Amino acid sequence: MPLLQSPSPVAPSRRARTPWRVALTGAAASALLLALGVVGETKPGAAVAAAAAVAMLAAALTARSLREDAETRPAEPSPETPSFDRTPAFGAVLESLPEPLMVIAAQEADDLAGRRFVLANAAARELFRISGDRALLVTAIRNPEVLEAVDESLFGGVPGEAAYETAGAQERVWKALTRPLQPAADGSRLALLLLRDETDARRSERTRADFLANASHELRTPLASLAGFIETLRGHAKDDAVARDRFLAIMSAQAERMSRLIDDLMSLSRIELNEHIVPHGRVDMALAATDVIDALQPLARQKRVALEVRAPSRGVAIAAGDRDQMVQVIQNLADNAVKYSPADAIVEVEVSAGQSVETAIALRAAQASRLSLVMPDEAPHQRYVAVRVTDRGPGIAREHLPRLTERFYRVEGQKSGERLGTGLGLAIVKHIMNRHRGGLAVESLEGNGASFIAYFPTACAEAEPARPAAGVETAPPPGGVAGVGATKVS
Amino acid sequence: MGSADMTEHTVKSFEDELNHLTAEVARMGGLAEAQVSDAIDAIVRRDVPLAQSVIDRDVRLDALDAEIEKKVIRLIALRQPMAHDLRRTVAAMKISSNLERCGDLAKNIAKRALITADAEPMIALTRSIERMGRLVAARLKDVLDAYTTGDLDRAVAVWQRDQEVDEHYNSLFRELLTYMMGDPRTIGPCTHLLFAAKNLERIGDHATNIAEIVHFEITGGDLISSERPKWDALATPN
Repeated sequence: MPLLQSPSPVAPSRRARTPWRVALTGAAASALLLALGVVGETKPGAAVAAAAAVAMLAAALTARSLREDAETRPAEPSPETPSFDRTPAFGAVLESLPEPLMVIAAQEADDLAGRRFVLANAAARELFRISGDRALLVTAIRNPEVLEAVDESLFGGVPGEAAYETAGAQERVWKALTRPLQPAADGSRLALLLLRDETDARRSERTRADFLANASHELRTPLASLAGFIETLRGHAKDDAVARDRFLAIMSAQAERMSRLIDDLMSLSRIELNEHIVPHGRVDMALAATDVIDALQPLARQKRVALEVRAPSRGVAIAAGDRDQMVQVIQNLADNAVKYSPADAIVEVEVSAGQSVETAIALRAAQASRLSLVMPDEAPHQRYVAVRVTDRGPGIAREHLPRLTERFYRVEGQKSGERLGTGLGLAIVKHIMNRHRGGLAVESLEGNGASFIAYFPTACAEAEPARPAAGVETAPPPGGVAGVGATKVS
Repeated sequence: MGSADMTEHTVKSFEDELNHLTAEVARMGGLAEAQVSDAIDAIVRRDVPLAQSVIDRDVRLDALDAEIEKKVIRLIALRQPMAHDLRRTVAAMKISSNLERCGDLAKNIAKRALITADAEPMIALTRSIERMGRLVAARLKDVLDAYTTGDLDRAVAVWQRDQEVDEHYNSLFRELLTYMMGDPRTIGPCTHLLFAAKNLERIGDHATNIAEIVHFEITGGDLISSERPKWDALATPN
């Protein structure tokens, strides 16, 4: 906790003296811990809000009681209370609060450079990438509405509130709440700023709207065809056994298409709802790729397409993430590659570890077009495990590249109806890559095949906790840039 | 917030004054970001009151730009900064004028949003505009983050990814042409969307400019566009 410094009202509660204050502090802290405990087990939202409210109350009350203590009875010896030892230091409590919380100090209203953080808990430091002590407020927050709300609390002494969105690969929506605090000992004004995550609420709202707009349109086509065939079967094809069989086969294919579409939509909306939560877990991408390819072999054999895996040996290409979703990425990419391959062609799936963004998506063919479809937020020392899926199909014209991950976008327009796709495969890949803080790029030369490259952050060493804090350098992966060609399946 | 603080804080250190300048530019950046993203929202959601408020708020950016320019001139005259201090001072002024231009372009998008709000909704097109807009807004955010934190790598990264916006613009251009050829009644609103896209593309260019200024402020050297690696460029020969 490098930012816990003298002007902050938060200090170890060891200084609380009279019994009622001890009781108050203890109660506030245990209520906070209770609320936090609830957060861990059930859905966030109400519980987090409760925890935040309690934390604010506690911070304000402690600040006041501590100051009174310090000012009125500086020399009085402290009577011991048994319950006291169980009260954690407030700094530690605020530090581990899941919501970003800051205390901002200011001198004068017209002095923008005077507004600084005197405290920023771990969540706030991660969100705003704050590194130094007492950084300028504007280096972290520029949103005019939030700055206004902070000013209201600093200089107007009233609580403020503002909506705040953080852009980037994962868009997040916050509600910023500000509260005035008692001035510090050196006369500077203090205000509390707490951010409450409202991404979930906003996202489910938006997903619903999107679902209605897209899905109704996409479902209408197969449904119209089903209705048409039912009509025909009831009418003049009633007694024609040959036509009936043929129609029923088409109807069953259309029904399957609708059900595939619904499956894809459901999995897309599930992934979207979790997109801002970084997944935990260590996955050996070489094994995952081999599994996917094995499962795809029957389909490939049917199309007379050869599937080849080139991957480093076990234990080298370990990526951080959710195994099911990573499998889905490889599956969707390989599936597309097989789908667009002509007969007797080869589809290559290549796994490599220890890549930087530049090496992962380096051009293989000099004249090919390339575009990044998903870029991770800037992290210069991050290394990635890359999966490159290459086909020898018709390739993709450059004007289609920026739109590939759009929902229901098909390169061939509506003509691609006979192909088995729903137009959602790459959209799903994109959202999974976003969630994993990874990236996705495509390289293509029209008439000469296409490669899709998905790269996931390398998992950190086994002993460490699952997730590194933002700004911490990730250890280089074991073995450095690993060679390929260790195992071969075809 | 008056310009009288020079007289009030005569004992203020030069470093404090420079910090103050950076803070003002950062605040202006926040306003410009909000203008751009509100303008995009206004055109995508056909939100007339939001568009109107973007148009009304533009004067604040103009005023801040003028104020920063005045402060910079005063600072150069009174303190005669050298080397990095001079670059910091000049960078503040140049960035603020780029931000002011971004504000003007956002205002223009908002004006077009007032007109397209009356036309029939074109969901596919406004989606494309939104996607391009989010990309541009993210670039602006990244470069301002790089400025406030003095992060050279981040500034260079923004500068290098300049091509992405152009690709979106080209794709959107083709899409708009298809619409207009398909149904001449859409020519009016489509033209406005085309200009909105062009304005977004220019906001992206300003973000690139700011990246160059940040690079100059930190290193004293220029970023040379011929040396820009084409790693994300679409390099097909046509």
